[in-house]
Amino acid sequence: MFKKILQSLSKSQAAKPEAPRPAATQAKTTAVSAKTPAAAAPQQPAMPKTPEYLCEITPKMQRDQIQAQLKLLYRRYNRSASSLDPKIRAQADQMLDAIVIVREKHFGQI
Amino acid sequence: MAEYVGIDLGTTLSGLAYLKPDGNPEIVPNSDGERLTPSVVFFEAHEDVKLVGSAARDGGEPDRTIFQIKRHMDDPEHLVEIDGKKWTPAEISALILSKLKRDCTKIIGEITEVVITVPANFNELARKSTIAAAEMAGMKVKRLVNEPTAAAVYYAHTQGVQGRILVYDLGGGTLDVTILTVEGDNIRILTSEGARHLGGSNFDEILLAAYAEQYQKQTGSKLWTDERHRRRVLHATEDAKKMLSKLQRVNDTVANDQNSGIARIDLTRDSFEAMIRHMLTRTVMLVEQSLDSAKLRAADIDHVVLVGGSTRIPKVKTVLEKMFGKTPKSCGNVDECVALGAALVAKKSARIQEVCNASYGTVAMVYNAKTGEEKLMNSIVIPKNTPIPCSRTQVYQTSEDNERVIEVDITQGEDEDAKFVDIIGRITLEVPPNRPKGCEVAVTFSYDENQRVRALVVDKQSGRSREVAVSYKGAGVLSEDELKRKSAYLKTMRIE
Repeated sequence: MFKKILQSLSKSQAAKPEAPRPAATQAKTTAVSAKTPAAAAPQQPAMPKTPEYLCEITPKMQRDQIQAQLKLLYRRYNRSASSLDPKIRAQADQMLDAIVIVREKHFGQI
Repeated sequence: MAEYVGIDLGTTLSGLAYLKPDGNPEIVPNSDGERLTPSVVFFEAHEDVKLVGSAARDGGEPDRTIFQIKRHMDDPEHLVEIDGKKWTPAEISALILSKLKRDCTKIIGEITEVVITVPANFNELARKSTIAAAEMAGMKVKRLVNEPTAAAVYYAHTQGVQGRILVYDLGGGTLDVTILTVEGDNIRILTSEGARHLGGSNFDEILLAAYAEQYQKQTGSKLWTDERHRRRVLHATEDAKKMLSKLQRVNDTVANDQNSGIARIDLTRDSFEAMIRHMLTRTVMLVEQSLDSAKLRAADIDHVVLVGGSTRIPKVKTVLEKMFGKTPKSCGNVDECVALGAALVAKKSARIQEVCNASYGTVAMVYNAKTGEEKLMNSIVIPKNTPIPCSRTQVYQTSEDNERVIEVDITQGEDEDAKFVDIIGRITLEVPPNRPKGCEVAVTFSYDENQRVRALVVDKQSGRSREVAVSYKGAGVLSEDELKRKSAYLKTMRIE
């Protein structure tokens, strides 16, 4: 059912490797699905970057969807938090803070 | 000669243990009479001597004192300049290891071969730097073992437990969570997850900020204006943190170095735990990630074992107890069990089944024939946590007509989004001309017992192939000659 075509990142400009960045930063420069709040950001620059916004959590999301999204983001940014680049590390730290705030809001404090 | 020796080269404390003739490990004290040596180095300006341990931590000038060098073991650009000489993290770690070796040799005899522990999430450069540090200090590394694994080996040895164990290792600088099974003498690692830059020193910094805020409120002045005084206050916050693990309330007084007056700091355990709550939530999320990685639920864990000085914080125990429905256990002194376990591993290493520390794969455009969707992604060939040794193959297709050179990126990381993994190498393979796109290419990754990874690319039509060892050979890795030279130089130094 799946066909896998080799791609080299050096050949593929679309997938040019970039340092991991928080969702809000990505929204400024990359084409993200129009369904996501991050994609809407450039059109609404005044929108406050709430923890939900950073974590791409929408009001319609179910509890299990929020949980899955937070787990994905935690795995992603916990890895970025080990980066040698202090900028990436600081951004990852900011995202991890946002993830924890959203988690506490939806699932309670530890 | 001491045959089985283990060393815990920690972020804040280091320790050496050896296996006694009765088969039980024992910590060997340093020449200052301490069982553990602070991982701090002071470069004395007036005498040609390097101080390591408590003397280095408690006195000296900040510009000449090196703390927490372990946090930089994977950074080839992190150099510490003292008196015009640039020291790498491996060289500074070698000074700490030299102190341990020289002091402990006087008690247990010559030490030539050791097992050294590293955080489970240490990358290849950090592991190579650790081995280089030991070699500079005149010791051959028999094996590197992950810290939680060493602690679990010690726990299983002393408690005689069987079943699934989750080790929660919250040290001075890092958090590691490892899940493993113990069956008789055999230990099988199921998964290891880690968080760098998350440990006791983060809690100290949070307390330091609280002290500074209180001081500003009470006196209207800054609590410190230079690094020397900031270090002193940091030391005081560390003491307060430790006391709050035993007491509900701590009163402290602080002053700055400008005679701006004294401020009284009132701390309660509750307020401290509230300050670090977000950090502890991160640790809980890592535990959840570990359970997910091992495809287990909290109820599947038989024993929760605490390792590392920061697990003395009562809230850590409470949170884990609530999560697992059972009381977490410590294996004696939480600061010593890693070194003790390492000494046991020195003898029993063959009985430990390790897993791949990371996922390896390549970048591919994946088409779903059913839905018509296509997605550029990190295509994993060998998943993290696969028991080693192992070998896995995936077949891909070429993307262009008349492609003369096939390029295969080697990725490390679990994320399916290629932007969130590391590209650690590339294999290029020349193939015959005039072929249509869609020719099959097999990509195989192999992982051996020594955690060495190899990648093999085979063009199925022409039979041409190329194999490479996937290893870090970049900046920061020393050649054999450099190692020998630095080792000889270190031998001439006075290290106290």
